[in-house]
Amino acid sequence: MASISLKRITSTWIITVMVLFVIAILFGITMRFNQGKLIQISPTSFYSIMTVHGLTMIGIWSVAGLAAIHYLLSRYLSIPTSISVFAFIFTVLGVVMLWSSAFIGEFHAGWTFLYPLPFKVAWKSWATPLFLSGLAVLGVAWLVWSVGILYQILKKYTITQTLGWQHFSTNPSIETPPLILISTVSLIGIIVCLLSAVVLLVLFFAEYFSNGAYSNDPLLMKNITYFFGHTIANETLYLGLASLYELMPEISKKPKFKTTWYVALAWNCTLVFILTAFFHHLYMDFVQPLGFQMIGQLASYFASLPAAAVTAFSVAVLVYKNQIRWSLSNILFFLGVMGWIIGGIGALIDATISNNIILHNTLWVPAHFHTYNAMGNVLFSLAFFVWVANDFSDLPVDSGIPKFIISLLVLGGFGFVLMFYLGGAMSIPRRFALYPPEFNNLSWLATLGGWFAVVYLISILFIFFTILKKCLKVFSAS
Amino acid sequence: MLKSILSLLILWIGIRPYTINAVEYNLSEEQELYQTIPNLTIQSTFGEFQLSELYHQQPIIIAYIFTRCSGICYPYLLQLNDHIQQLNTQKKFKILVLSFDPRDQLADMQNLQKNYLMNTQKEWIFAITPDIQKLNSSIHFKPEWNKIQEQYDHESVLIGVNTEGYISSKKIGTTDLKDIQLLLKDIHNEFVISYPLKMTNTIMSCFTYDPATGKKKPALGLLILLLPAVLTAIIVGIIVLKNKKYHHPNRARL
Repeated sequence: MASISLKRITSTWIITVMVLFVIAILFGITMRFNQGKLIQISPTSFYSIMTVHGLTMIGIWSVAGLAAIHYLLSRYLSIPTSISVFAFIFTVLGVVMLWSSAFIGEFHAGWTFLYPLPFKVAWKSWATPLFLSGLAVLGVAWLVWSVGILYQILKKYTITQTLGWQHFSTNPSIETPPLILISTVSLIGIIVCLLSAVVLLVLFFAEYFSNGAYSNDPLLMKNITYFFGHTIANETLYLGLASLYELMPEISKKPKFKTTWYVALAWNCTLVFILTAFFHHLYMDFVQPLGFQMIGQLASYFASLPAAAVTAFSVAVLVYKNQIRWSLSNILFFLGVMGWIIGGIGALIDATISNNIILHNTLWVPAHFHTYNAMGNVLFSLAFFVWVANDFSDLPVDSGIPKFIISLLVLGGFGFVLMFYLGGAMSIPRRFALYPPEFNNLSWLATLGGWFAVVYLISILFIFFTILKKCLKVFSAS
Repeated sequence: MLKSILSLLILWIGIRPYTINAVEYNLSEEQELYQTIPNLTIQSTFGEFQLSELYHQQPIIIAYIFTRCSGICYPYLLQLNDHIQQLNTQKKFKILVLSFDPRDQLADMQNLQKNYLMNTQKEWIFAITPDIQKLNSSIHFKPEWNKIQEQYDHESVLIGVNTEGYISSKKIGTTDLKDIQLLLKDIHNEFVISYPLKMTNTIMSCFTYDPATGKKKPALGLLILLLPAVLTAIIVGIIVLKNKKYHHPNRARL
């Protein structure tokens, strides 16, 4: 049972995430309209916006996932609210630092801040240390939060129980709730990648403060950067899935999902493979050892298939030929699974080396990750937000489906990513403020993508205002 | 006091002409790579021919010197000779020792070859070219004439040219055995997986590459890559051990 303080901090997270999400969408629309030549901004501004947009999106949906599992885990165990509050304060501080470095300091090394770009100072000299410090603040905040949640899980359950290993025997005496299983798998992965961020930042700062006495190996830095970046993006997706496993049956008035041996096996496999899939970001670095490229290829397939197959199967069984009480929440969950699988297929295509030779660094890359974020993980988190907002206001599960808004969401979201896919299929490179001259006749794809994003934004605003009033109610409750 | 000031002044006036002005070299090992080398007319001890006739037969290494050099040129040539002999490679190539000094005549080059006992080594060709400015421009080589010392200030340069006439490698400055091994691989169009930068301040790499064997060996950087996973395992292990006292059989329930 969630305490009032937990409700309040969760409500605060929701409102903050939604406000930042709306602003970040506006940044994205700005970029697309610039590429479509509907507006004109300087390349420096474009890349500053791109840096902030990417980091903000990854950051807010990471914290949304953590906030969701923190809230839902209160059904099973007690987690101090103070760690969430701590994380919130330092997240806000970190965001302020990052945005300041980009918008005042003009830092624009991209949201991957790939070494040695942060040291090729084409911005205010203080922007680089401020940016790196902002990342450090965020990393510490989320690390404390993640370790704190995992600590409480392991206080109640043994490590083997949290990973569901007893389900491999015929009659397990204890059943591990899927929420516990997936949260544990995700939190372990998040802790690994946040620690990799710590290592990365230590190396950055070591070089920065050495005044040239020490320099990093670029290949090592790239490996660590993508270990952190790729892994955290995927782990936060799994946090969203944890909410789905816990809530979708409940909202649909169906029996809860149970952990079976194949669910436990799938998620245990995911734990291992998701930590090695990041090598697929270095396929084009020929200097990378061949063994790593092979691991990246295999792990990219193995990481996605078990979790996706098991989840899709479970959701399909839930809805197929069953009387489902559809509401905004479970529709969002359902659409999110669709988006996740579509984006995942796009990812698998790009993660195949023979395809990556053609698709590498084209718009196919943002196509797939926008699909399984904007139309995947975001929808999982929104579903939780809608559900918990009703919980805050003691309302029953929301009735009535705003069909028009769902239609806008689907049209806007899938239309937006379709423009990316088409651009990628035509080899338009990513991360260009303006398309190269060879692709001038395809800039309409960017403009159309921007308009689809506007449609998507309208639906998001509707959902935001739907839950805002309910979230604010929790502050007046005693 | 006055004597000291005067002494310093005289010293400064006296020394100043002999101080070598700092010359900024515009050479870089990455520049001009995979550009075609100009097809120079070569006048050598074997007669006159076009450079293309030479590189079409075998890849070449061009060593850039001048015979009146009192600086790096001779030690550099001897070092190159030592490295080639140490390598004792089966690869076929020629070393074209080319003078960039317009004063050098073929007789000067012949004497150089004889004095340094390279006249018996078939890979070595000592030559001059009337087109030296063309070559200088193509690789941005700008020797500065020091009129006091009557010497050229210049970088030591080795240029590797493959059988298609492309500049496939450049080595600037002193070279060690591994540099020559890489150079030979480059001019023979062999794939080189890594060109480690000549930096002593990179303390962690993923691997070290040995051009002699063509093999990679893991280095400290790989352990750094494993560090987050190891730290996580330690953290989880500590949490598990700390919480062991809470766990009794059948404690956890749905």
